[in-house]
Amino acid sequence: MSATEATKVEVARAASDPLFDSSVESYEDKVVIRLIQFSVIWAVVAMTAGVYLSAELLWPTIDFGQFWLSFGRLRPLHTNGIIFGFGVSALMATGFYSVQRTSHVRLYSPRLAWFCCYAWQLIVLLGGLSLLAGWNSTKEYAELEWPFDIAIAIVWVLFGVVFFGTIATRKIRPIYISNWFYGALIIVIAMLHIVNNLAIPVTLGKSYSLYAGAQDAVVQWWYGHNAVGFLLTGGFLGMMYYFLPKHSGRPIWSYRLSVVAFWAFTYSYIWAGPHHLHYSAIPEWVQSLAVVMSVILLAPSWATMINGIMTVSTAWEKLKTDPALKFIVLSLAFYGLATFEGPMMSFPSVNVVSHFTDWTIGHVHSGALGWNAMITYGTFYFMVPRLVGVPLYNVRLANLHFWLALAGTMLYIVSMWGAGVSQGLLWLSVDEIGELSFSFKDIMASMQPFYALRLIAGLIFLIGTCFMAFNLFKTLAGKHAVVVKVPPVDPAYAMAKEVTA
Amino acid sequence: MSALSLHKRVEENTGLLIFGILLVSSIGGLVQILPVLNQESLQEPTANTQPYTAVELTGRDIYIREGCSVCHSQQIRPLIAEVERYGPYSRAGEFVYDRPFLWGSKRTGPDLHRVGGKFSDDWHRVHLIDPRSVVPESIMPGYPWLASRDASQAGDIVAKMRALSTLGHPYTQEQIDAAESDLEGLLEIDALIVYLQMLGTGLDEEIIR
Amino acid sequence: MQRWQRVSMSNSIYSFLLFKALYAPKAAFARLAAEDPAPLRILFRYSLWLLLLPPIFSFAGAAQLGWRLGATEPLFMSSNALALISIGYFCLLFFGLVTTALISRWMADTYGANASFGRHVALITIVGEPLAVASIAHLFPDVFFNALVLIPTTIWAMYLLYTGIPLALGIPPERGMLMASSLVGWLLVAAVSLLGISMSLWTLGIGPLLGV
Repeated sequence: MSATEATKVEVARAASDPLFDSSVESYEDKVVIRLIQFSVIWAVVAMTAGVYLSAELLWPTIDFGQFWLSFGRLRPLHTNGIIFGFGVSALMATGFYSVQRTSHVRLYSPRLAWFCCYAWQLIVLLGGLSLLAGWNSTKEYAELEWPFDIAIAIVWVLFGVVFFGTIATRKIRPIYISNWFYGALIIVIAMLHIVNNLAIPVTLGKSYSLYAGAQDAVVQWWYGHNAVGFLLTGGFLGMMYYFLPKHSGRPIWSYRLSVVAFWAFTYSYIWAGPHHLHYSAIPEWVQSLAVVMSVILLAPSWATMINGIMTVSTAWEKLKTDPALKFIVLSLAFYGLATFEGPMMSFPSVNVVSHFTDWTIGHVHSGALGWNAMITYGTFYFMVPRLVGVPLYNVRLANLHFWLALAGTMLYIVSMWGAGVSQGLLWLSVDEIGELSFSFKDIMASMQPFYALRLIAGLIFLIGTCFMAFNLFKTLAGKHAVVVKVPPVDPAYAMAKEVTA
Repeated sequence: MSALSLHKRVEENTGLLIFGILLVSSIGGLVQILPVLNQESLQEPTANTQPYTAVELTGRDIYIREGCSVCHSQQIRPLIAEVERYGPYSRAGEFVYDRPFLWGSKRTGPDLHRVGGKFSDDWHRVHLIDPRSVVPESIMPGYPWLASRDASQAGDIVAKMRALSTLGHPYTQEQIDAAESDLEGLLEIDALIVYLQMLGTGLDEEIIR
Repeated sequence: MQRWQRVSMSNSIYSFLLFKALYAPKAAFARLAAEDPAPLRILFRYSLWLLLLPPIFSFAGAAQLGWRLGATEPLFMSSNALALISIGYFCLLFFGLVTTALISRWMADTYGANASFGRHVALITIVGEPLAVASIAHLFPDVFFNALVLIPTTIWAMYLLYTGIPLALGIPPERGMLMASSLVGWLLVAAVSLLGISMSLWTLGIGPLLGV
């Protein structure tokens, strides 16, 4: 049946099914809608900052001599806006939505969830402004200074309380796999954030890291790599494990594979951090260990991807009526690419060329645009119409968005591969008597065409995102969240009478 | 008990799941980080590496504030072409007073670890305000505001040095007392240049030779 | 019928594909589905000619004009080195075609597509044909110029992939979309592996001089 009909049936069933007792609680979905709205706003804001940054690399004077438009201050605004604004809001929204439904219970404390929602947005907003003001710890993806670090830790713990509280009070016995991934996200990010950000405060906007030099490097990249691993990968895998089966109407292809992949993933990802530090002044054994574990990491990553692809491969008829499923399918392909490219780039013989170049940037964005953004977009297109019980405002626009997102991502990746490989090789290029063949500034100048292509790629992707923002906000305009009663639990899976959390 | 039935226990118990995740995810960090944090050789400065003076520290904090690490690395790898381009490769002992480390992860601009002494103060002064006036192809932004702010506006230098003392930097009381007067008459751009000119000068003589 | 008439009729699918793929791809795919050619015949009478184009063009361009990497003077290499590179390029393209066709055939079961190997070889060749023809850009071996020509060509090739799979392999467009996306996933991985392997070989000393 069409998407419209499917939504109507779900709404009607929720409202009129005689099995539904009016005293039965309903899911808390209003906070989910609000978080989706914030996530979309941050996506547009942070991607605009990204496009501006890429323009600054072509025309450096467009900062007009203003400190708040300066590349060095705008860059962390872009990365933090995407990761913490767009990403975390999306994870909170989808996390709250899915944990309730997989636990068959209303959110543990809706009031606390609302607090998390707004407190988090305030942190991102004020944090972003603080970055422009120069409050900068300069540790990547942890640039926000200590007042924000403390605020983040508090809100994060509360996020955990809501999430795990919902699981602990669930009515259904097994904890579904998407919750393991969201759970890992919450626990591991808390650990990483607290340990990496330990510092002595000097003033409100300045602190000194507890760690110094090479030791700081190891701690920073244990954090930096695993922020990617557990926030950008793990959390979004949780999203995938819930929304892909729901969207495609098929169960996950292999339960056993998902169990093994989860634990292997949680174990091995942590070790890979030092592959950001090849040939640096950290001990070599740490670097070697990182290489081995980065390669091992390929297995659980691809196992998860295969699980996803095989789940969706039988649901192809849905593609006729559902633009959002296309996003999810391609996101899995890019997930495969990014999780293959990562281990490959962690080989010293490849890293020697790729380190410090735009290849790293290309790799980041193949994951950020191809995996994170696309699966989030697909999930939002799926959730929003259902949340308010109406069809998507404009399906044609969503289809157009898909092709723009795909084109933008591919152009970005290819232009950065070109730039990165060129830079890396030209920097290392020596002639027969061992003298450098090219000067740094000549190599830098020759990157301009690649940067121009990347700017176009970013613009295309941003335009698509704006189309989505328009589409989703039009769908939500003037509507209220559909009241969805918690359905009764199949007795075979119900919690035992003596509740063990 | 088979693995799968053990797992059923974990996936039906919130506490076990949380504990399991925490346990499994801590191992990598413990194995990699603890030995590194305890490795004393990583905390031994090279012969000529000193704690940052008041002016150098101010300059370094300006470098951090403006996000210079976003485009400039400070880590010369032990590769032939790299040593030829930038100088002797970076040793751990040169970074023991770097809080936080500024190795960077991208070279939009060149590595700066051994930039000290390569260009004159005046060259830096012109370059920082308008990079294109000395390097026409440069895509580096300009920092004109550094020339209109006093070095003392970059932060409470005494509080900074005290904080670093508690972290183990061997500052003398005289150094801390003289800190504010050290900054007198200097602009932020001067402090930054002092920092840049000191970069990479911490190596032992034998290695440089 | 005369013998020459029978010969030209049985050859005709190969030249049909060669030309139609460029301006009437849907007809090419339909013919492919109808005739189901043998894999080796397709390889030697159709694919091979296309595979030869990029190595020949790159040899000619590099020998005459040198590699222009954007940073000052063009890089000239000896004829021997260039010949080796061109041969390597050909082998790479051949390997890429065969493995992609094999993987496509392997995926066919999952997506309910026709599994005759000849069809997959021909399909992948049709998809790659615009790129083979556009490789004439190698005659001017400037990195950016080639990127400018080959990126839109790749977009066109992707369009051919998504339209070609359902038509040539006899499955609904939506199922074809899933299969095409999986193949795109493979192609991305292959491309990045190529980058990685090249880098590893070059840093090991097999290739231009690098100061590692």
